[in-house]
Amino acid sequence: MKALRVVGVSIVTIVKHRMRAFLIILAIVVGIATLTVIVALTEGANKKIIQRINNFGPDAIVVHSGGGKIRGPSTASEANITRKDVDDIENIDGVKLITSFQVALDMPIKYGNKFTASWVWGVEPNWKDAWRRGASKGEFITDSDNERLSKVCVIGQTAAKELFGNVNPVGENILIENVSFQVVGILERRGLSPVGTDFDNLIVIPFTTASRRLMNQSLYISTARVIVRDPSRVEIVARRVKELLRENHHLAATEEDDFRLSTPGEIAEMVKSTATTLKLFLWLVALISPFVGGIVLMNIMLMAVSERKREIGLRRAMGAKKRHIIVQFLAESVILTFTGGVIGVGAGIGIALLIDLSGKPISITWQSFAIAFLFSTFIGLFFGIYPAKKAAALDPAAALSQK
Amino acid sequence: MIEFNDIRKSFTSGTMRTDVLNGVTFKVNKGEFAAIMAPSGTGKTTLLNVLGCLMKATSGSYLFEKQDVETLNDDQLSEIRNKKIGFVFQSFNLLERTSALDNVLLPLVYADIYPADAKQSAVKLLESVGLGDRIHYKPNELSGGQQQRVAIARALVNKPAVIFADEPTGNLDSESSKEVMNIFKTLHAQDRTIILVTHDINIARHAGRIIFLKDGRVEKEEVPA
Repeated sequence: MKALRVVGVSIVTIVKHRMRAFLIILAIVVGIATLTVIVALTEGANKKIIQRINNFGPDAIVVHSGGGKIRGPSTASEANITRKDVDDIENIDGVKLITSFQVALDMPIKYGNKFTASWVWGVEPNWKDAWRRGASKGEFITDSDNERLSKVCVIGQTAAKELFGNVNPVGENILIENVSFQVVGILERRGLSPVGTDFDNLIVIPFTTASRRLMNQSLYISTARVIVRDPSRVEIVARRVKELLRENHHLAATEEDDFRLSTPGEIAEMVKSTATTLKLFLWLVALISPFVGGIVLMNIMLMAVSERKREIGLRRAMGAKKRHIIVQFLAESVILTFTGGVIGVGAGIGIALLIDLSGKPISITWQSFAIAFLFSTFIGLFFGIYPAKKAAALDPAAALSQK
Repeated sequence: MIEFNDIRKSFTSGTMRTDVLNGVTFKVNKGEFAAIMAPSGTGKTTLLNVLGCLMKATSGSYLFEKQDVETLNDDQLSEIRNKKIGFVFQSFNLLERTSALDNVLLPLVYADIYPADAKQSAVKLLESVGLGDRIHYKPNELSGGQQQRVAIARALVNKPAVIFADEPTGNLDSESSKEVMNIFKTLHAQDRTIILVTHDINIARHAGRIIFLKDGRVEKEEVPA
């Protein structure tokens, strides 16, 4: 109860020294608001990264033709995967399904007098199972489309918007590199691809049509997507696929792979590594800025201690123990920083929401609140202890005789 | 109840040593009103600091209610100040921007048990020093005499064993001085122990006994006529 009375003294003191309280709170508000905004931004970026990894699929392996280190899909021009490779991979233990597709980047698309460029993928019907993405409107590519080399397409929502605006595209005809295709469906929305491109700027057509009519590549397959039964075994299956392809392609031990495998782990690493440096820098700013607030607090509190020497002497003469003086000053610091923390989180979230309006992804989680409250309390304790101890260490007789 | 035996106090600053108290010996009994008469610059403040348990002597023994103060630690000294001593200072030492009532209640903030009737007894004390109508006034709204009366009420709120007054009229005009000294006399009549330190013989004469201090020693004692 005595502690409560002493903390009561702190509160009364804060109320009586509004200007000082305002300055300290302001310094902490700026620091904690910065921290909150940065946490919201990095969490937002994280969410985006996770979404991209999920878009790739935690149970997927993508086999690209051609070796090297280049990211992104292989196009039909470098295709070297055979039908036998695909069949053999399908027989590997743990493989649920495999779908082959041909990819052409930035194909010219025309509808009426409107032009756009889009990725065009030649796909098999089980593409929609491998990507868990079918037609949200109309139909998807069927087996009979593939058998008959039908000139039909399912278009992504970005391409649809570019060409058709708000008009329903199903049933219309578009030109892909001057070959006419009928739109039979619209692809489900997907957002960003694993490599960060717009996964809705995509047009899919039958695999056979793409190979023979559009890409002039009827012997080889550019890309295949393998889905494994157990996501935890995806890296093991990937190793089998690699061994199998090296054997099928008769590669000697000294030769490099003439294909590339993308796995969820690899994608995660790739996406994360690009964000790490920036994140590190942001975190540094995020931590320094409340720290500066703490230094402001310490300065003002030290000034308060020397201004209030007489009061401290009086309190000691009236029977306050050293620890009561420490509690009084420390509570003053912590109450001020915590208040600054609460206001700072509010201000930070306000700013984060403004950033959200401008289109940058943000994420406001309970962690932001926890970090801000803990951090502001920590700053109050850390930077408040020295002035508090200094106040308590004053010689009561000397402090009392201060003018 | 107060026993000073050969109390010495010296201060060292650098290589310079200053002896302020050079073996002070005196006794003050319970219920006594004693004045310590000391010209300025003769260790008056130091004596009061040692008496008030704000400072320890360099040597000698100080018995407060038979307890050897020199053996106590900082917390125990704080407790004595809190429970046994009431201070009245020359410059009042009230908390600024704080009501008379809250100033009187200040010692109780640090009391082990906060009395349930703290507020009522504080109001009563303020009434007894003639400030019943000013309990919510802040120090800057009160005259010097009124401020000192608030300080006296504060010195009484913890029901102390002894009141130490350091030049309580030093900052007051003669009218206010008279009022304040009358309060001390009333308190003495109620059997309270009061030790008043002053350089003014006219003030010292209000006490039942005067202890004269000179060169850090007790020069003589006398009972005023």
